[in-house]
Amino acid sequence: MTLQSTKFSVPSEKWKYKSKRSERTRSAVIFIASIFLLIYVLAPVGWLLSSSFQSEAEIVSVPPHWLPHEPTMENFNAIFFQEFEEVTYETRRKVDPAAGGYIPSTAKDLLPSMWNSFIISVAVVILNLVVGVPAAYAMAKIRFWGRQASVYTILTTRVIPDIALVVPFFLVIKNLGLLDHVMSLIITYLAITVPFTVFILVSYFESLPDELDKAARVDGCSRLQTLIQVFLPLARPSLVAVMLFAFLTSWNEFLLALMFTQTIASQTLPIIVASFTSDFTISFSFINAAGVVAIIPPVILALFFERYIVSGLTAGAVKG
Amino acid sequence: MSGFYTGLKYTLARRFNYEARSAGLFLFPVMSVLAVVAVFPILYSLYTSFFNLKLTRPHRVPFVWFDNYVKVLSDELFWESVMRTVSFTVMSVVAILILALFIALLLNESFHGRRFISAMILIPWAIPTVANGLLWKWIYDSGYGALNGLLLQLGLIDKYVVWLGDPDKTIPLIANAFVWKEVPLAAILILVTMKSIPVDLYQAARVDGANLLQRFVHITLPSLKPGFMLVMIYETMMAIRHFDLFFLLTEGGPADASHVLSWQIYVETFRNLSFGTGSAMSYILALVTFALAYAIIKMLGRRI
Repeated sequence: MTLQSTKFSVPSEKWKYKSKRSERTRSAVIFIASIFLLIYVLAPVGWLLSSSFQSEAEIVSVPPHWLPHEPTMENFNAIFFQEFEEVTYETRRKVDPAAGGYIPSTAKDLLPSMWNSFIISVAVVILNLVVGVPAAYAMAKIRFWGRQASVYTILTTRVIPDIALVVPFFLVIKNLGLLDHVMSLIITYLAITVPFTVFILVSYFESLPDELDKAARVDGCSRLQTLIQVFLPLARPSLVAVMLFAFLTSWNEFLLALMFTQTIASQTLPIIVASFTSDFTISFSFINAAGVVAIIPPVILALFFERYIVSGLTAGAVKG
Repeated sequence: MSGFYTGLKYTLARRFNYEARSAGLFLFPVMSVLAVVAVFPILYSLYTSFFNLKLTRPHRVPFVWFDNYVKVLSDELFWESVMRTVSFTVMSVVAILILALFIALLLNESFHGRRFISAMILIPWAIPTVANGLLWKWIYDSGYGALNGLLLQLGLIDKYVVWLGDPDKTIPLIANAFVWKEVPLAAILILVTMKSIPVDLYQAARVDGANLLQRFVHITLPSLKPGFMLVMIYETMMAIRHFDLFFLLTEGGPADASHVLSWQIYVETFRNLSFGTGSAMSYILALVTFALAYAIIKMLGRRI
């Protein structure tokens, strides 16, 4: 089948475009479309980035400066090195209130919250593997009663909107005594991410031949040995994908963190960033710098592991 | 104790063979996590929806049968927020499908820089919703935002507009921010479907004299149906439950312009502290998403 179609598709490429002119039109259309697409995707982020390097005086200019005329690192210095004046009632009065223009004392919370986000995300990734991999393997390769039902059950838990579950989630967390503790978010994020992990891994394990499983079992491997020695090494691309998804979901989650965290002991980066946006006294450029700080880690991960993400997102989604 | 243990082991060994036992063992961790942090909350939420539970008077919690549902369904504000959710969802999903189709068509061609572009479109997908919210809030900003600046420089407006302050524009503007973040995933899913269309089909059509447009309408679009369906259902689910942008950009305002269903649930539960009616609304929303999800799981799970 594949052989036949390649045999026909190779010569077809040559007469695909009738003339030089239509080839040129095609390139032009592609070029223009690419430019539009890049602008659509990158311009909003670029504008955020550009305004995070502007001083307060510059950011309030009308019309806006698309690129900073005098780039400044003051916002990032405030976030990473705490180089800012403590704002007190007296110093705050010196600032022109109309222009906002100050860096909040909560700027020092950004790094700890980033650390919280990091700890939570890494823990969720590890727990996802520990809990999700055996389950996915069992569902894909072991024939047992209730197999199909368990796949559906796991997927169904992700159907109910989070907003509908916040109250009972809150109750569970409170009874476990975990309010305002990173554990509260680790547990709930695990429950949020693990269905997707299981789903992706099940479809991957299913695509591996059953003979592999049988051969290992005949050779005397236990189920656990078969999983660890035969299937895990083969599943590396899928494992990378599910680790990324678990990490990104945990890093980005907002609603549950908003409900369960109260102090910097457990507040995550999105919560601290969101707390700036509703305060009109805080400098716009500072808020944007905080946004940039929140954006950079997931964007780097996404670009670095683009291949794995695309294959993971499409795993099993469409019959290939 | 050890006697009990060996006894238990013996019973288990007799009841279940090795396969079933290892399956049980492998599934136990995930099932226990989900039981505590997913199944219990879902059932508890259902249970709460039958009680008149208000945190403002926590000591009297009467069982009210379906009163909460009746109350919610006969509330005008509920239906208004449903209508807003519907318009937000329709707007977003239509825009996502159209944009994603064009992006997929572009990325399906082979040209220099294709890999660069397909990497770049992942950026909106990867950024946190909070960053997405603050990004668009800043773009729409009435005093110093990029949208005003750009439109003024292009001469399309003659003075700055308070974008998010206009009730007619709020939902489309939030939908725009939502679409921007959701479109990459949709484009990737449609692209995969597109790549699975056999080349032979196009060749046969070409031999039969079909032009580019005819090939697109008669081959590409029909073959994309599964991808479209998947994206449509998934994005509908995401849009009707969406909360973050409404919280970050407008908090339901101005007036009630962006008071959508998810915001209504939030207000009812956490501002009015009326957990009973809040849970009832949640369950209505959940049932709708459940119906959609049933379709999606059926589609995805065909191979499992």
